[in-house]
Amino acid sequence: MSHQPSKDAPPSKIIFQGVSKHFATKTEPLHVLDKIDLEVGEAEFVCLLGPSGCGKSTLLNIVGGFEQPSAGSVRIDGVAVNGPDPRRVFVFQEYGIFPWASVWDNVVLGLRRESKAEQHRIAAEVIELVGLTGFERSYPMQLSGGMKQRVEVARALAVSPDVIYMDEPFGALDSLTRLTMRREIVQIWQRQKPTILFVTHDVDEAIQIAERIVVFSARPGRIAGIVDVNSQHPRDITTPEYAQIKGRLYSLLGVSQQV
Amino acid sequence: MLFPILAFAGAIALWLIAIRTGRGLRSTLLPLAVSLAMLGFWDLGCVLSGTEIFPTPLDTALAFGELIESDRLLGDIAASLFRVTWGFVLAVAVGIPLGLVIGWSTRGFEALNPIVQGLRPISPIAWIPIAILWFGIGDGAGVFLIFLSTFFPVTVGTTAAVRNISRVHRRSALNFGVKGLDMFRRVVLPAAMPQIITSLRIALGVAWLVIVAAEMVGMDSGLGYLINDARNAGSRYDLVVATMIVIGLIGIVLDLLIRRLERFEEVRWGYEDR
Repeated sequence: MSHQPSKDAPPSKIIFQGVSKHFATKTEPLHVLDKIDLEVGEAEFVCLLGPSGCGKSTLLNIVGGFEQPSAGSVRIDGVAVNGPDPRRVFVFQEYGIFPWASVWDNVVLGLRRESKAEQHRIAAEVIELVGLTGFERSYPMQLSGGMKQRVEVARALAVSPDVIYMDEPFGALDSLTRLTMRREIVQIWQRQKPTILFVTHDVDEAIQIAERIVVFSARPGRIAGIVDVNSQHPRDITTPEYAQIKGRLYSLLGVSQQV
Repeated sequence: MLFPILAFAGAIALWLIAIRTGRGLRSTLLPLAVSLAMLGFWDLGCVLSGTEIFPTPLDTALAFGELIESDRLLGDIAASLFRVTWGFVLAVAVGIPLGLVIGWSTRGFEALNPIVQGLRPISPIAWIPIAILWFGIGDGAGVFLIFLSTFFPVTVGTTAAVRNISRVHRRSALNFGVKGLDMFRRVVLPAAMPQIITSLRIALGVAWLVIVAAEMVGMDSGLGYLINDARNAGSRYDLVVATMIVIGLIGIVLDLLIRRLERFEEVRWGYEDR
């Protein structure tokens, strides 16, 4: 259980140093995050796991450049984060794709400066990758929740981002669609190897997809522990090995598995 | 007494047919049955009260024919529509950009929103004397009044629409480096469009109400003037009521026309689940 990648690993992609966040309220300041230190390696798939309100989404918004930390710093490739950046794309739970634009127009949003031919090549490719070929002219309203989330993933992939931030992206989907989407996101990660920071409160989800799981305590969010999941995909999480990981995650979360 | 009896019998017959048919036909027949019954009551009221001034449905229909033959009706409709169209177009041309700015920029909101909110509660009717003072009796005053009555709903509606743009959409636009004018074109305007269209609809409805009042008080043409003129020229209440019906019908047509905007795929998302 170390907070650092191993010694011979390449330098870290993302470094959080003493990141704290508090919000002013009428009575007393609300401490959301307390001195978070964390390093994420290049092409690593990391889950941020914790109870609701533990600040994991706030941490993602900070590294994504949408919010400022109250103290501490976040550096990516050695450069301090200073606002959102098209090389690092956010996938939202509540559908960040534009409902007024077709699937195609959504996907080419990040390709505005490319030539028409290049836009076509890339958009067709990523739309096929997420299995939405034939739906290019559809509007989000006409798609199911899972398909909307695929559009958002395609829009992110179109710009070949080196980091993807996912904030409970499958939280609004039904459990079967969620399973499919997890498998797809793992396949995409294996193929394109972006660094992925994935926020979830679902223990099974974290075990199924992540290489490393960062467990947060309840507010103010602190890192309660880090659990490695060193195994190949596809994973069968009913085996004893995963049961053991699950037990560790639950004990770090301070929750009993038994109901 | 023949007309009311026929009307009531017709209404009952239509009702009986309607409740035995499918939803599509029923939704046409039921209101038709109620309208027939209302015509019956109208005529019955005229007969029973023995009025010599208030027109029966038949008088009104004849007056309608007279209006069409006189060539006057089309001219007055054109005059009213002309004022409404130009006032509305000007208000949209000024109100939407202004609303976008007030809604998007914090300073713009702080500086201009109190002014807009302060002027908004003044009834456009109250401006009639000033409109006549500035523009005289004629189209100018009408256009000005319609501009005033539509400018506020459009501006306020656009401002609210922009302020309602979801944070997720603003953030994803920022994430992909959308900024400046591109932000307005790709995100702010399309995101606000469904609510803007709703405000246009409200504004056009208000415009049609206001123009009639304005023409009754301070103009010498248009449907409002026609009503006043018919009353002054020997209490022709048959013409008055016929004109009122024309005003209602045109109002319905205007609303149907502007509602077509809601059907575009780029805005339909804004009307779901509401």
